[in-house]
Amino acid sequence: MKFDNIIIGGGLSGLTCGIKLAEQGKKCAIVSSGQSAIHFFSGSFDLLGKANGEEVTNPLESMKSLPENHPYKRVGLDKIERLTNDALHLLVRSGLNLNGQADRNHYTLTPMGVMKPTWLTLSDFTSFDQKDSFPWKKAVILNFSGFLDFHTLFIKDGLKKFDVHAQIKTVSMKQFDAIRKNPSEMRSTNIAKEFDKENAIEEFAQKANVLSDGFDVVILPAVFGLFNKTIADKLKEKIEKPVLLLPAIPPSVPGIRTQITLRERFQELGGTYLLGDNVEEGVFENGRLLEIRTNNHGDIKFEADQFILASGSFYSKGIVATHDKLYEPIFGLDIDGDSNREKWFDEKIFNDQAFMHYGVKTDQKFRALMNGEPVENLYVAGSVLGGANPLKEGSGAGISLLTSLHAAEQILK
Amino acid sequence: MKKEIFEPYNVSDNNFEQCVKCTICTVYCPVLEVNPDYPGPKQSGPDGERMRLKDPEFYDEALKLCLNCKRCEVACPSGVKIGDIIQSARIKYSKSKPKLRDMILANTDIVGTMASTFAPIVNTAVALKPVRKVMDSVLKIDHHRMFPKYTGLRFETWYRRYAEKKQQEFKKHVSYFHGCYVNYNFPQQGKDLIKVMNAAGYGVHLLEKEKCCGVALISNGLIKQATKQAKHNVEAFKKSIVDKKMPVISTSSTCIFTIRDEYPHLLGVKNEEIRNDSELATRFLFRLIDEGKLNLVFKKNYKKRIAYHTPCHMEKLGWSIYSTSLLKMIPGVELVQLESQCCGIAGTYGFKKENYQTSQEVGKPLFDQIENSKVDFVATDCETCKWQIEMSTSSKVQHPISILAEAIDVESTMKLWQK
Amino acid sequence: MNKNRSKEYDVIIIGGGATGAGTARDCAMRGLSVLLVERHDFATGATGRNHGLLHSGARYAVTDHESAAECIEENMILRKIANHCIEENNGLFLTLPEDDIAFQSQFVDACSSAGISTEIIDPKLALRMEPSANPDIIGAVKVPDGSVDPFRLTMSNALDAKLKGADILTQHEVVDILKDQDRVNGVELFDHEKKEKAKYYGKIVCNAAGIWGHNIARFAGVNINMFPAKGSLLIFGHRVNKMVLNRCRKPANADILVPGDTICLIGTTSERIPIEEIDNMYVSKDDVDVLIREGVKLSPSLATTRILRAYAGVRPLVAADDDPSGRSISRGIVLMDHKERDGLEGFITITGGKLMTYRLMAEEATDLICKKLDVDKKCETANIPLPGSEKSDETLNNVSQKVYSINGITQKSAKDRHGSLAHKIAQGDENEDSMVCECEGVSIGEVKYAINELHVNNLIDLRRRTRVGMGTCQGELCACRAAGLLCESMEEPGKAKDDLANFLQERWKGMSPIAWGETINEIQFTSWIYEGIYGLKPDNN
Repeated sequence: MKFDNIIIGGGLSGLTCGIKLAEQGKKCAIVSSGQSAIHFFSGSFDLLGKANGEEVTNPLESMKSLPENHPYKRVGLDKIERLTNDALHLLVRSGLNLNGQADRNHYTLTPMGVMKPTWLTLSDFTSFDQKDSFPWKKAVILNFSGFLDFHTLFIKDGLKKFDVHAQIKTVSMKQFDAIRKNPSEMRSTNIAKEFDKENAIEEFAQKANVLSDGFDVVILPAVFGLFNKTIADKLKEKIEKPVLLLPAIPPSVPGIRTQITLRERFQELGGTYLLGDNVEEGVFENGRLLEIRTNNHGDIKFEADQFILASGSFYSKGIVATHDKLYEPIFGLDIDGDSNREKWFDEKIFNDQAFMHYGVKTDQKFRALMNGEPVENLYVAGSVLGGANPLKEGSGAGISLLTSLHAAEQILK
Repeated sequence: MKKEIFEPYNVSDNNFEQCVKCTICTVYCPVLEVNPDYPGPKQSGPDGERMRLKDPEFYDEALKLCLNCKRCEVACPSGVKIGDIIQSARIKYSKSKPKLRDMILANTDIVGTMASTFAPIVNTAVALKPVRKVMDSVLKIDHHRMFPKYTGLRFETWYRRYAEKKQQEFKKHVSYFHGCYVNYNFPQQGKDLIKVMNAAGYGVHLLEKEKCCGVALISNGLIKQATKQAKHNVEAFKKSIVDKKMPVISTSSTCIFTIRDEYPHLLGVKNEEIRNDSELATRFLFRLIDEGKLNLVFKKNYKKRIAYHTPCHMEKLGWSIYSTSLLKMIPGVELVQLESQCCGIAGTYGFKKENYQTSQEVGKPLFDQIENSKVDFVATDCETCKWQIEMSTSSKVQHPISILAEAIDVESTMKLWQK
Repeated sequence: MNKNRSKEYDVIIIGGGATGAGTARDCAMRGLSVLLVERHDFATGATGRNHGLLHSGARYAVTDHESAAECIEENMILRKIANHCIEENNGLFLTLPEDDIAFQSQFVDACSSAGISTEIIDPKLALRMEPSANPDIIGAVKVPDGSVDPFRLTMSNALDAKLKGADILTQHEVVDILKDQDRVNGVELFDHEKKEKAKYYGKIVCNAAGIWGHNIARFAGVNINMFPAKGSLLIFGHRVNKMVLNRCRKPANADILVPGDTICLIGTTSERIPIEEIDNMYVSKDDVDVLIREGVKLSPSLATTRILRAYAGVRPLVAADDDPSGRSISRGIVLMDHKERDGLEGFITITGGKLMTYRLMAEEATDLICKKLDVDKKCETANIPLPGSEKSDETLNNVSQKVYSINGITQKSAKDRHGSLAHKIAQGDENEDSMVCECEGVSIGEVKYAINELHVNNLIDLRRRTRVGMGTCQGELCACRAAGLLCESMEEPGKAKDDLANFLQERWKGMSPIAWGETINEIQFTSWIYEGIYGLKPDNN
């Protein structure tokens, strides 16, 4: 089967790359070995939250201080600003409503009740300009009875720092009786499925309005709008007070909606999205990747002019660790990482872990290296790239979006 | 580079341990959403497996509520074979004996043989309200269910009488695993397959006595019988594939999925020798076209708006791309790809009284999609999806091969390779 | 907790391990007024850091007849008094082709002279009994080994002591031993919760602090020659074996594979370490590699089984008084009356021994305490079952077997963990039945029970009581849920955040030595959730 471009990995990088290429008329396929890490999306795309241990206010400016092998530096700081605009527009064209700008971080409130700098935030969530003030004085935190994945006391504790008087209240609704009976399934996505049916939202809003009497803001877990894209807006219409949604334990409801939105955009542009399939091997000739073989399709191989590896980090098995080595499991590409496992870790979990920096080696054009030589038509994008600790930097989404747009541009040249 | 090159060492091949508890599977389980008695794929699968290894007493009979749709497996980012773990656990630990009803529903070919022999009587009888009430109350087969009609002339009989001889005229040959549905309920689909394959230049042959693939036996816990039939089928496939070098094609996504992917790990029946050459007719045809070995000519007056529904096992196989690609080749077809969702029937599952409501609730989003799609009819590769959709929506359902059979200009297509 | 500082206790017992808790129980049963103090939590020392093997004694039969005989006797007693803490799964001593089969008969003889029943099993039959065993075995002997959960065992002893009037202080560290001339009369404790010191008085102070007893003795001005021996173990993700697997050879590295609750574990290595390292032990790369290499010989499937954690315990070895070099080490029970030994009245030390003989150690220590206090009461600990091990509740059995009982997992797990005390766990409505820990089937009701009745100060304690966070995900989903519940009961959210961070750190300590494969995937995911999305930091206050 012949495509112009094949992307391995159906997460944020893979979809961004696929949408960009498909928008330019390329016939693209995405092979995804399962649902992606967008399912754990906090609701905000980070660009750069911290650099050299310092909190960042202007990501574009602070990028200058990053090490030379950082993906942003390798993309080229001259291109970054334009790519951030492209990324924003691509996401908006796909149907996401986002707030934020690349030259000035805004803040979102985390479920621990602390402000975190970020770049683009879904309109479901609330963006704050200041990290040390909170626009409301009296907050009511509403949770659903029996829902263990929303930690109201932590939020309340966090809000104390802003001199906010917060009160925790619980809402019971008969719509959740069924899932509550199941001891493991009172999960955010299952609550969201009930709200997706629309009839629950009216009743909930009424209860919330009564309970929020005398408060300035209603804080809720982000369990609105899984497959139904209009519910989060309807909720905000029906609740009389401002609504502040906070992430619950993943899978994330707005995250899954984001994944679906991007995937649908890709498919509407004619892209082929192959879910639940694994690329098992590639056929190489003269430094080029000719075709790939997948588990589902066997002898019907997929050919393409260019390939993009966007297979993610350890969690997504883009790279694999065993007791004595690190490897890239599809093609056996070169890895930028220490082979001695004692070097992978710091014994303190909250320290910078070396393994978080590991990834596939590439040349300056982000083409994968195999035995030291670049594969001419195999580009690498997203978190399978090494050179940064996205968790410590708050740069994961930015790296995914910008490196995949960069790869797409190389292909479109 | 192949994965085997890397010797695994303490990277678990106990598949359930690959679960990193991300919980994504629970989002895509169609049963969980509508039936809170089901513990869900994570609890039933990897979490439960660990407990069952501690003590088999942790086995929960509620696992039989699993539809075996495998959507959890498709969604799993860590490659955990959740559906397989659940089905294996049922086989290994379940103490409940299959009921008479389950045996009737599961033995599709024995019941089919009997029913098609007396087709007019059976069809009338099962259509009668009193009979359906009896089935409902005695057998616990839900009275809402319309049984698929049994044919008076079985496909195999028709083939021997009218088609077999002609197949020798072709230079290239395939075997056809028609499955119970084509044989007993809907021979037309088999006839359409022969028409299309003949047009493509292939003679179509039957296997030496195919038996039901056993999917319903597996899901109803009749493992011994399923294993026996699986062994029989693998031998029959070998005679075609290994001895005669004739690949085996089928029009049933569930049969082919069961034979390729459920035989080895659920029943312990090895199928390496036949697996690669057992596939769906749509994939077989697609490959020929993709490799430039076949061109199809279509009738100019065929104009349809068709919605394609991806059956669960097609989703797992990843093969709906072949059916939809073929349909898209027909110039007059406007194809609407429905969002992939379970229809709720899951073979014999939806026939059981206790599952009827769950079954219909699972399928509702799909039915709504279909009703809103304003299409002439729905295309799908699975016979039980067809029953469910036809019962639950106003739409008729056709198999992609039947659509091709109608849309292909047979003579012109044949001329291309006869030259 | 009944803190009565002005009261003078008959006995203050230092150390919340099995020995300390067992001694507290025994003393309380003999009518003494008891204070049990522990610097962290129950079973945090050697007690909670071993195989969890209910030794039949067979392992010591050839090398140490006395220990072997003690083990089998205690083994039979524990089956009676602690049935909810043990599993009677039996054990096999396997002879591999590289081992000397002649050792087998020597082994069987030694067992029988120690009173341990053995049965030589045909290797083929042994493999049918235990399919995970190495198929190359050339010999197998069945012995009455089993598994014991040291956390449950210790907690049950402490609970019973409390029921019989003992006061218990956890998170209280001994910072000094109080003396009046040649007589010890109390302890000074530092309360880690309130960050304050206080003095407690007792007629006898019993040092049952294991290896840490070395320092306790110093506070009293006496010297005990202790030599810490570090032993590392690996926990595998699920039960590979049903029976305990041993190598039929003289004790060596990594030659016991014990199934315990949902997991199995291999150990140990043995290495003498400096006393300064006992509070900060890490399992080295070499330890891990040895354990895997040797473990695979017992059960080849370990090579492809996920490893959950690595941990190390330290066994208190005591050198004979006339041998400060530590060459002649006793592995048996050591009971010191410091009056006799050092001329210091009111102070005794009970140490050495092993988990298996904790009750016997407690009995010997209590006998001495009673003698000193001139109390004439017989030890009953071998006859009276521990709380939770009274006859099991039939209704609970029925519930777990009920078809379509979707709460079966939590209820059966609770029964496994708490025995007949499981009836104290509220259940039957969704407010209590929902799962906090999905890997181990821990319900809200069970967490609340533990918080209310089982001396839980933090998440790590909660883990030892309930197995929250001990499953495959090592706390990824449940840590935050449990923290939320704990937070509700303590109403100190800031502290609960630190507690959550500490818990994740504690889990990581065990994961980092084996962090490859799924473990590295899992920890990346866990970090994303807690640090990335939640914004949790090591110091939240």
